[in-house]
Order: sequence, then structure tokens, then C-alpha cells
Amino acid sequence: MNPTETPHPVRLDVQLGRLRLANPIAVASGTFGYAREMAGLVDLARLGAILPKTITQEPRPGNPPPRTVETACGMLNSIGLDNDGIEAFIAEKLPYLASLAPATIVSIAGRTQDEFTRMAARMDAVPGVDALELNVSCPNVTGGVDFGTDPDSCRRVVAGVRDACSLPVLAKLTPNVTNVVAIAQAAEQGGADALSLVNTCLGMAVDWRRRRPILGNVLGGLSGPAIKPIAIRIVYQVAAAVDIPLMGIGGIANINDVMEFLVAGATAVQIGTANFYNPTVSVKILDALPDALARLGATCVADVVGTITKQ
Amino acid sequence: MTEHHHCTCTSYADRARQETVAVEENVQVARDTYRVRFACEQIAEGIVPGQFVMMRLAGVNDPLLGRPLAMYNVVPDENGRPQQLEIVYRVVGKMTRRLSVLEPGALLEVWGPLGNGFPPTETEHLVMVAGGIGQTPLLSLAKEYLHRQTYGSPPRQVRQAKKVTLCYGTGGGEYLACVEDFQRAGVEVRISTDDGSAGHRGLVTELIRPVVESSDHPCRIVCCGPEPMMAATAQLAGKLGLHCQVSLERSMACGLGICFSCVAKIRDESGRWDYRRTCVEGPVFEAEDVEFQQHFSQLKQRPKV
Repeated sequence: MNPTETPHPVRLDVQLGRLRLANPIAVASGTFGYAREMAGLVDLARLGAILPKTITQEPRPGNPPPRTVETACGMLNSIGLDNDGIEAFIAEKLPYLASLAPATIVSIAGRTQDEFTRMAARMDAVPGVDALELNVSCPNVTGGVDFGTDPDSCRRVVAGVRDACSLPVLAKLTPNVTNVVAIAQAAEQGGADALSLVNTCLGMAVDWRRRRPILGNVLGGLSGPAIKPIAIRIVYQVAAAVDIPLMGIGGIANINDVMEFLVAGATAVQIGTANFYNPTVSVKILDALPDALARLGATCVADVVGTITKQ
Repeated sequence: MTEHHHCTCTSYADRARQETVAVEENVQVARDTYRVRFACEQIAEGIVPGQFVMMRLAGVNDPLLGRPLAMYNVVPDENGRPQQLEIVYRVVGKMTRRLSVLEPGALLEVWGPLGNGFPPTETEHLVMVAGGIGQTPLLSLAKEYLHRQTYGSPPRQVRQAKKVTLCYGTGGGEYLACVEDFQRAGVEVRISTDDGSAGHRGLVTELIRPVVESSDHPCRIVCCGPEPMMAATAQLAGKLGLHCQVSLERSMACGLGICFSCVAKIRDESGRWDYRRTCVEGPVFEAEDVEFQQHFSQLKQRPKV
């Protein structure tokens, strides 16, 4: 059925704390460049939100290549937050993002709590930013505290950012912990508007003939369809334990994946690795979304969020 | 030779299209080497020599990612309009092995045109240096310079070269692929093989100096092949005082500039290097700007999963 023939129009807008999105389909940080790269292939105006590649206070060259390697139904990356720093982002990338209809959720990564706070204040002072996503979970940077693996430091970082700016705040959490629920609750206590679940799973690939790791940085983050069950499990567990909305991320490649995340407890989703191997996937999913929601009798996205029941 | 610096600006994929296409022909052309042809008018119309497409097997998650493959040629329809793309590829891993056994009708996902391509710099004698499977982006360039075919929309205008030479080296004669296509296009072809089974026994870079020194015209070099061979060619071009451009190969995930996987070390005017994305700022770079990888052989071979 053509979307225009849907008998009862389905509302696609969603609320993530103080942040409203026109629809629940976003593109994940690090998988969509700064959006300008995709303007030729994707009707950017249709997306619910765009998360540009994570920025840091200072420029970072990133890790030595090889930076990615394909694995079964997925890929490992160790890009290492290659970026030109916050000021270059504001001067060169943000004006274009701000000119687009979708919400711009700027992903920031600080080395210290103070740096997170200062970056948040800086982003609050420039026009065109709709929300912040705190990348407390990149597996490819070392030095400094890993804020996403300790509940207390996660809560403090989120609270510090909340105090420093008026923007809605999302915390992007890592799956590489024993108890992600405790960290999700800590982010909620810190004042997060929503949680992004999840970043990549720490992994490694080996070239046994040369007895060497394949990635230049040895370890990398696993993404793609291979990690979807892990991400859905975490969304399901966290949805039961917090009252703030969730964005599901992990191996989403088609409309069925999106619906699985929504039913499991996500209010919105971010498409990541699929942008690499199917660059128009986001708009294809948007084409299919109204019918998929209508199929469950929903008149809005919230009607299906977290509606999963046990047998 | 700074007046030649045309090829280091970022080229976003603004004219790229993603299409599902059906294989029309997929034939072996040399040992481990195949040519696949498929119709995709929009990509065929816009693509220029040195640009590439990303290709993946449709409907499967393993292999997951697309592979960057150079445009070998554009085949026009009976009215002369660009219609089909030809890609020549070497079987090196899981994806190309599966690609090599596809029958006509099998579906591929393709997006492109991608990358900057070779700039149409005026040249009297274009010396093309290829190693391994590196000849594949050069046929269309030769045809363009010899006014046998035009590429791009609107068609790119290139001042006709007086001569085009291909110096082409492979491990052995059984790997030589598509030599007759170059000869038919009017290219002078010189061959080298590691084992001496065809042409000169030795390195392809040893063919360059005789071509240049015996030429009646000012020469310019374009080069594509294994990294050590490109590094050697770049060094020789510097010694001979010749302008040289290289088409780099890097492992890519997207081809679009969004994943930051395919970076190469590229020097700026001050001599400092920065990681640049081969897919949108290349794959063609000024040879003198490239910081070549020292141990590329360890990176080049994909794991045989």
C-alpha cells in the first residue's frame, strides 16, 4: 500500500524529554559525516534528526589506518574521533546543519567532566543546535576517565552539562559493561532528557598469518546487524528501569528492525552502519514507517513504544 | 608544477545515485580477473575517468559493506547515450570471489559516481603506469585523451593528447587483462612481468624512463597500482621533473566521506601531513603530496575470512 493511501493518517512526531522530533528516524553520529556529504543521495529534510560526527574540544587526527574491517554481518571501527575540534565545527559544519529541517543533535566527547561542561556551554551559545548527545561511550579513545562505565561519573557528567546549558541532553551509553541499567539510571538521575542505546561493542580482528591485529589501533567497536540483538536487549532492560525516553541504535537496517526497537521500548531510533552500505536506507525506512505503525493499529508512534508483552 | 594542482579539492557525491542493477555479463578476462557489465544509465552518464562506484551483492548481510571499484568503461546504447558500466576486478577476497560466480540476472547494489577522478589536465604525452589490477581506471582516461570517447554530463572536454602510453606490470603474463582494449583505443602498451613470462622481466617502473626519454613530447604521468610501485613511480617522476598523479587504494566502508575509514596521509603546502579521506578528497592525488605507506603490503591483503 502506498503511504498516501493509509486510511488513518499516523502521526510520526515524537518527544524525547524537551526535544521534539518530526519523526523517530535519526542518523547516528559517526555514520553520516556532517550531513553535507549525503545531500546528493538523501532527502535530508525528511529525517527526524541528524547527529553529526562526534566533536572534541581540540582537533584530533584520529587513529592510524586500517581503521575499519568487515566482520560477519558487521564491521569493526577504530576511527578514533578524527575531527577538527569544536570551533572548526561551529564555523564550518554547523551553519549547514542548522539550515536543514531535521533537529541537529550535536555529539560531544570531553576528556574530563570540565571539558564536557565547557563544550556544552559553548554549543549553547551558538544558534542551530537542538540538543546535545554526550558520547561517554566511544571505545576508541584512551586517556581520561571512561565516563560511560561508572554510574557516579556518568551522573556527574550529565548533571554538569545540564547545569551548564539549556539544551536537551541525551547520554549515549556503551554496551561494554556488566550492568548497563545502573548507568542508565545514573544518567537519568543526572538529568538526561533521553538515552541513546547503544554505542559499539568492543571487539577485535586478527590476521593469524601475520600474527597481527588487523586494526591500526588493535581494538575497535563492532557495529552493524551483528549487534542488533544486544542493542534490543539493552533497550528492553533499560526501558523497564527508567522513566525517560530511549533512542535505539544497533544494526538497524530496515523497517522491521525499527519496529522491533520501538516495541521493545525505544521512542526513536538512530540508523548507523546501514548508512555506509545502503546510503538511502533512512528514507526507505521513512517510506515504510506509517504502514508498519498502522499495521499495529497505532495512530502515533507512542502507541507502539514499549508495548512488548511476554507470552 | 603547482599550476597542475587540480585534484585535491573535496568532491562530495552530489551526483551519486544508488541503484539495484542486474548483471548482464560477467566474464573472466585473465587469471583471477573478471569483467562485469550492468545497465545503470544515471551513473554511466555522470561518471568520469578515475571515479569509482561502491558495489555490494544485493540482499545479503555477509559480505556487508560495499567495495570500491573503478569505472573501467561506459558502454553507450545504439543512440550513443551512456547506458552500461563495465568494471574489471581481481578476485582478492570474499566479496570478489562471490561476485566472480554471479550469472546474468543476479542483482547488485551500486552507488556512484564517487571520488574526484583524474582532472582533464592538458597533456601532449600521457604516460600511464599500472601495476597489478591498477590498469582498470586508465582505459577510459586514455580513450578520453585520444578523443575516442567522452565521459561525464555534460561531456568533459579534454585537449587531445598526441600520444598515450601504458606501462603495465603484473606478476606473470597470465594476469595481463584487457591489453587489447588499450591497443584498440590507440594506446602504446609496454609490458613487464615479475617472472618474465611476458614483456620486460622486472619492475614496471623500469619501463618509465625509456618511454619518457624517447618521447618527442612533454610527458605527464598518471599511476595506479600497489603502494610501493606508486611510491617508486612518484619518486622517479620527481627525478625526471614530471608532473605525476596517483590513484590511491584504501579499504573503504562507504565511499561517500561519512565513515572516515579510507584516510591517507596527504601533505599540505607547509609539508605537514593530515589524514584525508581517499573517497571524497581522492582517490586521485598529486604524487608529491602523498606520504606513501611504508608497509602497505601488510595492509593491502584483506583477511581471507
